Amino acid sequence: MQKLVSFLALVGLVLATGCSKSANTPSGSADQSAGKKLTIALMPKSKGNAYFISCKQGADEAAKELGLELLFDGPTEPDPAKQNEIVENWIALGVDGIAVACENKEGISTALRKAKQKGIKVLTYDSDAAPDAREFFVNQATPEGIGYTLMDEAARLTGGEGEFVIITASLTAANMNEWRKNIEARLAEKYPKMKLMVVRPCDDLKDKAQSETTTLLSAYPNLKLVMAICSPAVPGAAEAVKQAGKAGTVKVIGLGLPGENRRYVKDGVTQSVILWKTVDLGYLTVQATAALAKGDLKPGANTFKSGRLGQMDIKGDNVLLGKPFIFNKDNIDQFNF
Amino acid sequence: MSWLRRSARLKKEWRHDPEALMLKRHFRELSVAAALGILLLFLAVAAPAFYQAQPLLSLLTREAPTLVVACGMALVIISRQIDISVGSQFAVCSVCAGLLAALKWPPFLVLPASIAIGALMGAINGTLVAGLRLPSIVVTLATMVTWREGLRWLRQGEFVNLPDGVQWLGLSQANGQRALIITALVVLVLMALAMKHLSAGRFVHAVGSDAEAARLAGIRPQLVTFSTFVLIGAFTGFAAMMNIAQSPQVDPKSGTGLELKTIAAVVVGGVAISGGRGTLWGVFAGLLLLACISPALTHLHIEAYWEKAIQGAIILLAVVADGLRTRSEKR
Repeated sequence: MQKLVSFLALVGLVLATGCSKSANTPSGSADQSAGKKLTIALMPKSKGNAYFISCKQGADEAAKELGLELLFDGPTEPDPAKQNEIVENWIALGVDGIAVACENKEGISTALRKAKQKGIKVLTYDSDAAPDAREFFVNQATPEGIGYTLMDEAARLTGGEGEFVIITASLTAANMNEWRKNIEARLAEKYPKMKLMVVRPCDDLKDKAQSETTTLLSAYPNLKLVMAICSPAVPGAAEAVKQAGKAGTVKVIGLGLPGENRRYVKDGVTQSVILWKTVDLGYLTVQATAALAKGDLKPGANTFKSGRLGQMDIKGDNVLLGKPFIFNKDNIDQFNF
Repeated sequence: MSWLRRSARLKKEWRHDPEALMLKRHFRELSVAAALGILLLFLAVAAPAFYQAQPLLSLLTREAPTLVVACGMALVIISRQIDISVGSQFAVCSVCAGLLAALKWPPFLVLPASIAIGALMGAINGTLVAGLRLPSIVVTLATMVTWREGLRWLRQGEFVNLPDGVQWLGLSQANGQRALIITALVVLVLMALAMKHLSAGRFVHAVGSDAEAARLAGIRPQLVTFSTFVLIGAFTGFAAMMNIAQSPQVDPKSGTGLELKTIAAVVVGGVAISGGRGTLWGVFAGLLLLACISPALTHLHIEAYWEKAIQGAIILLAVVADGLRTRSEKR
């Protein structure tokens, strides 16, 4: 009986990791001897994820511009242990720079420190490691950037007055609370005629977000806008508004992915979906990693010139991607993730 | 001493009066229904905006799949087992059904496929529990994690976008919602009648009260256990189809927490967690009561922090009531 339980656990393990074996060996050849071509290695949280595929698109663009070799590899599913393995492989290959979107802050930091000791330039992007494990973090969006953009967009759509509500993932999620703080700060500072009625959690589930929004629409009949700050909540809120027959009267905005919201944006239920340009995030990351490896970018710098993006701000050890990007009816078809 | 005599007489009458007996036997179901009634009455006074046709219809439609799974869960718990993998099964069935629908399979083919996938997962649980006599909590914990993680690996959290026409199965929104609610109620009524009047239903009760006695009476307890797991799997597959029929896309995380929701509804509805006792009517009342808490709090402008605490308190109350009842019965 115990054997069977452990067998089951094993089946689970194999299922979970089995097919990511192919990710073990880095693709592409890091041929160092072929001239002075830089080799930059870029790791997503997981390889198949549309979000990171679109990051890679920008990374490829930057690699082509700079004439460097780009390695792109990561776990097939988000897996901190696999990320470590890949970093170890890259150290053995002797790449010039590594940029990682970290699945687990503590888990990856040791491997990254080791890479740093070997003289490899290390950056993080999308989600950070421990600060001493990397030189820079390419920060796609500050809490301030997200909070202010959401609030400004809400005010723009409602003409700066009226009631609105927020759907969050949970009342305890640190990043969401940080965004909320900035939304409320912006609200207090600039939009006295707008009123935040309530913040409801949806447990990061689309279906619960829909039920919550349905109730909110009946409990607050004067509602002008629903702001969803976790990605599954945006389509959930939109479905509720659509079912209530209030599409257009009650606006929906939120932080999410274009693909999940395309239908509602096109139908005019959701007005704006806010996210950064993932292509630019990949582009900037590779630009920064290359500049660091070449010695053009040094710790302590305040700005950094990043190809087609121009001058980017650096705050401390954070390279900032700048203001978030707003997807709407007019541009959402240009983004396929 | 006259009061003592009187109470003894009352007790006697209680025993012989069929109406009073009914009241006593279904005390738990009735008390949950009463609690629900009080809550609904209170809302009618304090927050009349709760009673609007469209939002209520939408909310009830969202609970319809949960009711179907809860019917299966009631059977499993009455037979003295538990299945905590339903949430993961629900997600797997939803995504599979969604992918098939996206391949332009017509709904009347997607539905049996979804049921079959659910039944297959149920059969795996059933084989391990009944065939190898493993504790159901361990088996379904393992399958819960396996299905959920397998799905995460496959889908990476990506939504399945459904083609037009899947939502509401071509009906208008209001009719689609009514159809889903009626479907769930039909399942409930059929199952409640089957549990009472079919020998299979009585077998489930018998196995849950005393498997050994049931075996001696000629019932095959392992077969009954296996069947309940297959049934809850099939019900979950059916519920998954009811879920994708009300949205234009499938969240691969859908069904998260479904096991807790349904077990809570079953326990609050008066089904003994130790098996052998309970009715589906109670489960229905329990589910409605728990489902009303969240919208009620929103309408009463009470902070969301309280929601889980109140739901937890209701479950605790139900379990304590059960415990007290079992103790007094043993005496």
